[in-house]
Amino acid sequence: MKTRGNSTPARPPRSYFPILAHVLALLAVAPLLWVLVSVLKPAEDVFSFSWPSTWTLDNLQYVLLKIPLPRFLLNSALVAVVVTVVALFFHSMAAYALARLRFPGRGIIFSGIMSTLLVSLPVILVPLFLVAKQLGLLDSYAGLIVPSIFHAFGIFLLRQYYLNIPRELEEAADLDGCGYWRRYWSVILPLSRPVLASLSVLFFLANWNAFLWPLTITRNPDLRVIQLGIAGMQGQYASAWNLILAAAVIAAIPTVVVFVAGQKRLVDAMKTTGLK
Amino acid sequence: MSATPFPARPVSRRSVLRGGLGALAASAVAGPLLTACGGDDPGGDGKDLTFWNFYGPADDANPQSKWFVDLTTKWNANNDVKVNLRYIVGKEYLSGTVLQTAFQSGEGPDIFLISPGDFLRYYNGGVLQDLSPQLTAESKADYLPGLLEARSVDGKVYGLPMEIEPLAMYYSEPAFEKAGLSEADLPKTWDQTLAVAEKLTGKDRYGVMFETLPGYYQNFTWYPFLWQGDGAPIKDGKVAFDSPAAVQALKFWQDTIQNKVAPRKALGDGGGDVVSNLGSGAAAMQQSGIWAVSDMRTKAKNFKYGIIPHPTPDGGKPATDLGGWAFVANAKGKNPEAAAKFITWALGSTDAEGIERQRQWNTVVKTNVPPRKSVQQAADAKGAFGEGVLKKFVSEIAPTGRPEPRFPPEVYQPVADAIQACQLNAADPGKAAADAAQRIDTFLQTYQGASIS
Amino acid sequence: MVATTAPPSKPPVVARASRQKTPMTRKRREALAAYAFLAPDVIGLLVFVALPMVLAFGVAFFKVDGFGNYQYIGLDNYKLMASDDQLWSSLRITGLYVVTFVPLAFVVSFALAMLVRNHFRGIGWVRSAFFLPHVVSLVVVGLIWQFLLVDKRGAISKLLAPLGLGDVSFLGTPSLALGTYVVISVWFVMGYQMLVFLAGLKDVPKELEDAAQIDGASASQRFRFVIWPLLRPTSFFVVVNSTIGAVTGLQAFDLVYVLTRGGPARSTSTVVLYIYEQAFTFNNMGYAAALTTVVVGLLILCTGLMFAFTRGGRFDED
Repeated sequence: MKTRGNSTPARPPRSYFPILAHVLALLAVAPLLWVLVSVLKPAEDVFSFSWPSTWTLDNLQYVLLKIPLPRFLLNSALVAVVVTVVALFFHSMAAYALARLRFPGRGIIFSGIMSTLLVSLPVILVPLFLVAKQLGLLDSYAGLIVPSIFHAFGIFLLRQYYLNIPRELEEAADLDGCGYWRRYWSVILPLSRPVLASLSVLFFLANWNAFLWPLTITRNPDLRVIQLGIAGMQGQYASAWNLILAAAVIAAIPTVVVFVAGQKRLVDAMKTTGLK
Repeated sequence: MSATPFPARPVSRRSVLRGGLGALAASAVAGPLLTACGGDDPGGDGKDLTFWNFYGPADDANPQSKWFVDLTTKWNANNDVKVNLRYIVGKEYLSGTVLQTAFQSGEGPDIFLISPGDFLRYYNGGVLQDLSPQLTAESKADYLPGLLEARSVDGKVYGLPMEIEPLAMYYSEPAFEKAGLSEADLPKTWDQTLAVAEKLTGKDRYGVMFETLPGYYQNFTWYPFLWQGDGAPIKDGKVAFDSPAAVQALKFWQDTIQNKVAPRKALGDGGGDVVSNLGSGAAAMQQSGIWAVSDMRTKAKNFKYGIIPHPTPDGGKPATDLGGWAFVANAKGKNPEAAAKFITWALGSTDAEGIERQRQWNTVVKTNVPPRKSVQQAADAKGAFGEGVLKKFVSEIAPTGRPEPRFPPEVYQPVADAIQACQLNAADPGKAAADAAQRIDTFLQTYQGASIS
Repeated sequence: MVATTAPPSKPPVVARASRQKTPMTRKRREALAAYAFLAPDVIGLLVFVALPMVLAFGVAFFKVDGFGNYQYIGLDNYKLMASDDQLWSSLRITGLYVVTFVPLAFVVSFALAMLVRNHFRGIGWVRSAFFLPHVVSLVVVGLIWQFLLVDKRGAISKLLAPLGLGDVSFLGTPSLALGTYVVISVWFVMGYQMLVFLAGLKDVPKELEDAAQIDGASASQRFRFVIWPLLRPTSFFVVVNSTIGAVTGLQAFDLVYVLTRGGPARSTSTVVLYIYEQAFTFNNMGYAAALTTVVVGLLILCTGLMFAFTRGGRFDED
């Protein structure tokens, strides 16, 4: 199934649709705009409803220079990128096998993999911590990265995608004497670029915003990821909300950039997962 | 496990059944496996102790963080057994999963902080180390009455308090001026409170504010109103919550909401956050603790405010709640004796250095009432409580206080539900108190552990 | 469906040296390759998901005190549930939440998708704007709405003041809190569901819609008879996803915790929040594990029913 470009309109939209869309978009985003404005206000004015009396970059400066925010950003970036790359690699291999190869136990393995989706992190937090501890992953980058890689959703989506790839391409490779690895590496993987691009956006987002697992597995302050850093500014009785918002704004920027860059791909690629 | 990029996925019936059955079959084996990997062996002579706290070392190296860091640096310079700080963000330490996860997997800290509400849970779980052997008699006598008892069982002391945090009512001078009121109008009784609050309530402000978020803190702030009527959830080991004192206290909080003089939701961190509420003009009077003095100093130093003791009901007596955290040692830790020694040195030293250290904590880097007489004297000598709000705290308010109760969750919960139901759901206070009392009673019948009150 | 490739023909008696393969060996090679491809993920999932899952469910048969002491009690945890009023209350709240949230989110995101499916100037930013709430940290989401909805001073209160509703506290009133939480959840999730619908809408062949239009079908007829039927699998996916997320996802716990902590007066105390409380406030890890098995079981039942009711959405491969 070929991807359709999303710039060819089926028919011109009704004249009021774009206006309505813009208005609704503004409404949806308005609460977030308040955050942006508040960040630029002096500290005492965080909860005042007035327009800023003075604009100030103090809050942003503080979080960038006085606390190790850049370090947190770096940690998050490292974890998110590594997890995304490794996960997509593993998932595409597994998805290829499930979609294209025949072998005993395929059904059971697939079902088993899918059933893991019903369980969320808080449920398995303590046992997972125990397992990670036994494997020596405590308080390390490995501990942040390794358990986050394995999630069945990516496998599912990639498998759907592969089910729809025409068999002729593979059979051509087969005739050329390609082994399974060559087939995967040289034929399937390049073809998966659209879906891999979109999944990487989603994985990156999910890992960038991760909180509970990093909180549980790390103790060393240098290993903190961005969400932990933000939470760290909440005091026992009174937090510095101006700083929290400033840090959150900075933390949101990479995710916004990644999303905007990928949103076009996202829509195009999702439709080829055979959701018909 | 990554956060789910998409919340979850649908699965076919068959695939789920297959997967599910497999899991069920295997779970039968899980039990023995768990008991096997319970925890580390308590060494007894470890050389590196961990101290988990929510003060430092913090990113912004604030004074409180610095105090903790200096403390351990000093200790480490003079001792073989080293103490290493671990900073856990306040909210996660208090109501998060970090401590529980760690203890559950045998990775608990060697030294840590607890609040009175946690005491029984840890004690009954057998993880608190008796500090009595390392606590000198002189040190023990130095503590204000009642403080050590709240953290003792059968005469053995298990925790040393680092501070006393009394509660009071804060009021905003600008708000009073704007409403044309003066110091004479500051309320002394519950009825006066409601009346004055009405005058202070305006378009953008509420007259009075109490905590509305459910949690240990809300209970903590409500108990004084119960005590003012001579009530208590438990007396002599038996439930006593179903009493006129409880009913009237519940009704008072209910009235503040029903009369629309108190908000249902606070800004910022909640009812105890004076900076975000009183300080931003959202409330004219707010109940909070002595910690707010230091918060206001750092975050809103130009704001003019004062404090008054809690208003009392007719025929009631003044009362306040004394919060405050304590250092405790993990009896199953790597070196409980060394940990105990550290604690008694850090907080209980009676030498000049020790007293100065405590004075710094209680009056310089943080504002609270010192738990020890000698420290109080040293602080007075420096004029820490000489005037203003702090003077009032020490002279008028703290003496009327009772230490925060050490109720286990099963007692905390029914009381919390009663408070919430009456305050926010217009429930009948009589019935709410009776329901809570019954639940507490059911729990007490099967409770086996250290005495609760 | 998966087409079977013809098995290689048996080699003639005259040997073809280079391409001699018997079906047996080929199958085995394929199987081995498959296992090799699957190995990293399967091992990873076993160790980091399945094993903890099994352990977690196993704990349900124990009484756990939170300090590493386990005591076998068989089915007692399950028996406790019958008389646990708080549990039934939280199940009811979760149920209420699900039946209001899922349809509302569905309708809103569907409408948004229909609005932005065809290109117009600024469509990129509009789509991003709808998705943005999903991207921001939950701490911030909580703060934003707390600020907007705070009694009297919040922006929403100010907007409603002319209508006389200026001092209604949305998050502080038990009868309103759940509804408010639903609305905030929809705001949080709508962009993501919109994307799924957009993808599904792209699969509706332009030719069919055009043909219908030429035949004189009105817009609503086109919708009912062309678009909607072709979107059924997508819709199904969205509904199931939404339900699972509403019961155990980010919005069921993190969002509600940050907004109300389950208050006021327990009116937003979802079942996941209750499980968390049992595990980390009351330290009844055993009971919490038992509750989790029940919730997961209910989810499986729900999903299964949805499948049976709609005769599936062709997600399984056999």
